[in-house]
Amino acid sequence: MYATEEALRHKPGFGQTLREWIFTIDHKRIGILYLIGSLAAFAVAGLMALLIRIELGSLGPTLTSNPGTYNVWLYFHGAAMILAFQIPALTGFLANYLVPLMIGARDMAFPRLNALSLWLYWAGIILALLTFVIPDPPDVMWTGYPPYSLKTGGNTAFYVFTVHLMGFSSIVGGINLLTTIFYMRAPGLKLNKLNIFVWSTMGAFVLQLVFIPVLAAAVTTLLFDKYLGTHFYDPANGGDVLLYQNLFWFYSHPAVYVILLPTIGMIFDIVATFAKNRVFNYNMVVYGGIGGVVLMSGEVWIHHLFTSGMPDWIRIGMMISTLLISIPVGLLMIGLLGTLYRGAIQYTTPMLYAVGFIFLFLIGGLTGIPNAMTAIDLYIHDTHFVVAHFHYVMAVATTFAIFGSVYYLFPKMTGRMYSETLGKIGFFILFAGVNITFFTMFIVGFKGMPRRYYDYQQFPQLEGLHHIITIGAYIIGIAALLILISWIHGLIAGKKAPDNPWGSKSLEWTTSTPPPPGNFRELPILTEEWHPYGYGRSK
Amino acid sequence: MNEAFAYAERGAPGQIPDVPGGWDHLFGEMLIDITIIGILFTVITVYLLIRYRRREQGQEGNPPRLTTAAAIGWAIIPAFIFMADDFYLAAEGWTLFNEYRRVPENAYEVKVEGSMWSWHFIYPEGVESFGELRVPAGTPVVVRMTSKDVVHSFFIPDFRVKQDMMPGRMTYLWFYPKAPGEHLITCAEYCGLMHSGMKGMIKVVSQDEFNNWIETEKKNNNT
Amino acid sequence: MNEYAVEHEISGHEPHWETSPWPLVLSMAMLFVFPFAFSLYFVYGKPIMAILSLGIGIPLTVLSVAGWISEGVGQTREPGYSVKAMPFFIVAEAFIFVAFFVGYWVMRLSASSWPPAGTPEIALTVPIIMTIVLVSSSFTIHLSEQKMEHGDRGGFLMWLIVTIILGTLFLGLSMNEYSHLFAEGFNFKTNAYSTAFFSITGFHASHVFVGIAMFICILIPALMGKMSKSFVKSASMYWHFVDIIWFFVVTQVYFWS
Ligand code: HEA
Ligand code: HEA
Ligand code: CUA
Ligand SMILES: [Cu+2]
Repeated sequence: MYATEEALRHKPGFGQTLREWIFTIDHKRIGILYLIGSLAAFAVAGLMALLIRIELGSLGPTLTSNPGTYNVWLYFHGAAMILAFQIPALTGFLANYLVPLMIGARDMAFPRLNALSLWLYWAGIILALLTFVIPDPPDVMWTGYPPYSLKTGGNTAFYVFTVHLMGFSSIVGGINLLTTIFYMRAPGLKLNKLNIFVWSTMGAFVLQLVFIPVLAAAVTTLLFDKYLGTHFYDPANGGDVLLYQNLFWFYSHPAVYVILLPTIGMIFDIVATFAKNRVFNYNMVVYGGIGGVVLMSGEVWIHHLFTSGMPDWIRIGMMISTLLISIPVGLLMIGLLGTLYRGAIQYTTPMLYAVGFIFLFLIGGLTGIPNAMTAIDLYIHDTHFVVAHFHYVMAVATTFAIFGSVYYLFPKMTGRMYSETLGKIGFFILFAGVNITFFTMFIVGFKGMPRRYYDYQQFPQLEGLHHIITIGAYIIGIAALLILISWIHGLIAGKKAPDNPWGSKSLEWTTSTPPPPGNFRELPILTEEWHPYGYGRSK
Repeated sequence: MNEAFAYAERGAPGQIPDVPGGWDHLFGEMLIDITIIGILFTVITVYLLIRYRRREQGQEGNPPRLTTAAAIGWAIIPAFIFMADDFYLAAEGWTLFNEYRRVPENAYEVKVEGSMWSWHFIYPEGVESFGELRVPAGTPVVVRMTSKDVVHSFFIPDFRVKQDMMPGRMTYLWFYPKAPGEHLITCAEYCGLMHSGMKGMIKVVSQDEFNNWIETEKKNNNT
Repeated sequence: MNEYAVEHEISGHEPHWETSPWPLVLSMAMLFVFPFAFSLYFVYGKPIMAILSLGIGIPLTVLSVAGWISEGVGQTREPGYSVKAMPFFIVAEAFIFVAFFVGYWVMRLSASSWPPAGTPEIALTVPIIMTIVLVSSSFTIHLSEQKMEHGDRGGFLMWLIVTIILGTLFLGLSMNEYSHLFAEGFNFKTNAYSTAFFSITGFHASHVFVGIAMFICILIPALMGKMSKSFVKSASMYWHFVDIIWFFVVTQVYFWS
């Protein structure tokens, strides 16, 4: 028993509170600081998206007459959304906040290293934001292909170091998390009783650990080539420009599964909680779904290089392996639907986001199929069709999952309830907005509009469609504001939350709300019957 | 220069596959395929969402107990169904891809060099042009390309073809202009400031007109 | 299984929020040491500002590492897991080397002649001596670890110091070789081989440097009587890894030509 209720009730002063937050080595606070960083990145990168949309909303120069400015916006938008918003929100915020709670540990294995990965991430955010103040900002897009990234007058070094900081942060975080999951589970918590989220986070970090180093090497060689004069990517001296593309996508394709896995794991947890149901066919989901995605994600990267001049046989091979990824992902979908089967579904805001995820991920995932078919990709590659595909999976589906998880964990994190009405209004507006925006984008892409275009004089007939997309983007913006308002409202005016508002069986809800330092007053003792999804046994 | 991948086998004479038509056909087929899958999953989801909504406070799910056989079946059977569909799509895609890559026997060969931000065409007769590619109607054209500076991508939306061009390597694509007309070429790989302005035209003219043009250009070059 | 938790329970800590400023300071120092200094020097051509940036960053780095060690070592909980975590780190590191080697192989195998023009004769005796030095340092760190296990503090310290000296000797040999090559006009810019040669050997040398830094971070607290067995073991595991990578470097970069 903790003898010091008093110590907790004693209110610390502002200075102490601040110190206890920014110097914290507690995984929950670190998780929340990750969340703040990633939402800030989302807001700024989202505003860039709005600028991009306004620029494309009508033909000719609209906001700026300098294409270079547009390129910097787009660079920031892509790089920040992936590196500073999605990956940290999933593997930083959610993994940090939830995993130790879910496995009944008091903290991560290395609390200080955990803080290090948080602040390295923030250093990366600072570096990325400096894009807007330095002279010659980077304009290499989030892919940074040479030789353009070597020839440009922009500051490629900032791109490289941003990737380094984020990557190093992820590796440190990954080592920490894997150690935690492997060695710090509460006594009696067997592997077949882990939450799906824990499994999927494990999968995601295995991918991070294996593939980030390759990305780090790729961008480092870029730095060497540009500033030290080496010849990795200089064909005149024995280098090869395709080498970079291969190394880059060797990481960046698995990165999309680093995003997908924790997302879908979280969706499983939300769905199980609100359907009050067991996860359908747990072993299939874990070994077939998550395991399958982890195993297959490393051998499909050429599907980003279908038009780039790789040998034909490898394009065909990777077309097939890419198509086969639909098998494990399909098993995950079946697991989700099976979890609804004979459940008792309760429609709270997080559950709405989870349901939205299912529909929108279907659209996004299934439109990955045409991309994957080499011959079809020869036309739609680098058009807005691809842009629409990845916005459906990332900007829409996973972002829904992230917002849903924030609502889901809101009571636990803040000790207060959000307003269901506000939350649901935000959800429906967002749902409408994303579909208007990104579905139209498929049509624009199908008509041949290439991406990364500042202007489209050659496609004047597409102006109307672009206009619709821009309007959709405004709607998304309004929805994002509403969602933010609903969180602030919850923080200030929300009702006090009980320890387990959702009636979940999972460990993170058994501790008090918000959890104390050290997470559990007494470490949970797990009985034989206990299961995080052990619903419906009693009846 | 690495030309190992640049030269594919030439197809049999006489038959010129209709690549854009094949593309449209395959895209349609694939669209039907994924729409069916999408609708199937959507309908099931909607049904489950309505059928199993919570009816009373505190109600819990009543999950089925899967026997080992059922659990394995639920993994294996869908996996095989998905795999079958994947292989079907892969086979179709492979066939079309082969047509993309097998250059017809009698193709007319033009060299293209991309540079920031224009295209430079070199005809076998030694004639050169910038931005505008003139080709005779009724003859397949194979474009062999490379780049002077950064990666560009040679994209002709009307013919459903696209291929990157990069320094130090030779790549190719081919297309079949059947009738006189104009077709847009536009750059599809980010290449800096004027990426969106890097466009060109393919002018398809009749064979006679084309021959005349070549002749005059040759003379112009000589003087 | 759950040592930390159990320990925590027994020692009956107050439930307060634990803090440490050092991770934050270290991360911000990294900003000055790498991106700022590099960009100021190479991108914007302002060497004075770059030195200034290093002048802020390096002291902060040293300070935060020192602070971190003084906080961390002696606490049993944190390093308890470092032996278990080190394999994960080694996997990550190994893949960076894999990427560099792949880059090298691609250039090597697509080249028409090798080594390309402009490559001087690279003496093969030096790498053999370096190999001997590094392999023996692997033995000495192993000895040091064993002495630690047997509670022989003096022996532990001695072999640790010997290891540090051997590591430094290795770096010295490497620097010496570089300066000879530079003198012959063989540097990063020369050709494809120099690109691979300097990046791979340089990258490996930086790992040796990190290893030595780790040993120093063990040595100083150990001299003051604080140490963590788990940290020693993981540092030695890292050192063996660096040693193994060196075999690849030697065979691929020096002898395969
Ligand atoms: C979260 C991120 C995410 C996810 C999950 C995916 C998932 C998939 N992606 Fe996507 N993709 C991106 C993010 C993502 N992608 C990004 C960011 C880019 C562009 C990067 C850039 O260029 O800037 C991209 C680009 C991209 C390309 C390159 C296009 C190009 O540049 O030309 C391709 C090509 O194959 C592709 C394919 C796929 C496939 C096959 C899947 C599959 O995993 C989808 C599997 C899911 C389903 C298929 C649906 C559910 C399954 C069933 C219902 C079972 C039954 C289905 C069948 C049998 C078909 N993606
Ligand atoms: C997770 C990733 C993610 C997300 C969420 C988004 C979100 C959006 N994206 Fe983005 N996008 C990418 C990832 C993402 N994108 C990537 C990787 C690229 C490729 C880059 C490249 O080519 O290199 C790209 C490229 C890209 C393009 C292609 C441009 C081109 O090729 O020329 C376009 C064009 O329309 C676009 C639009 C949008 C829009 C309208 C949104 C909207 O959904 C955004 C809406 C958000 C807002 C309007 C923010 C409003 C916020 C507030 C009001 C504050 C509220 C705050 C909180 C809730 C915290 N994006
Ligand atoms: Cu040339 Cu884009
Ligand atoms: Cu991919």
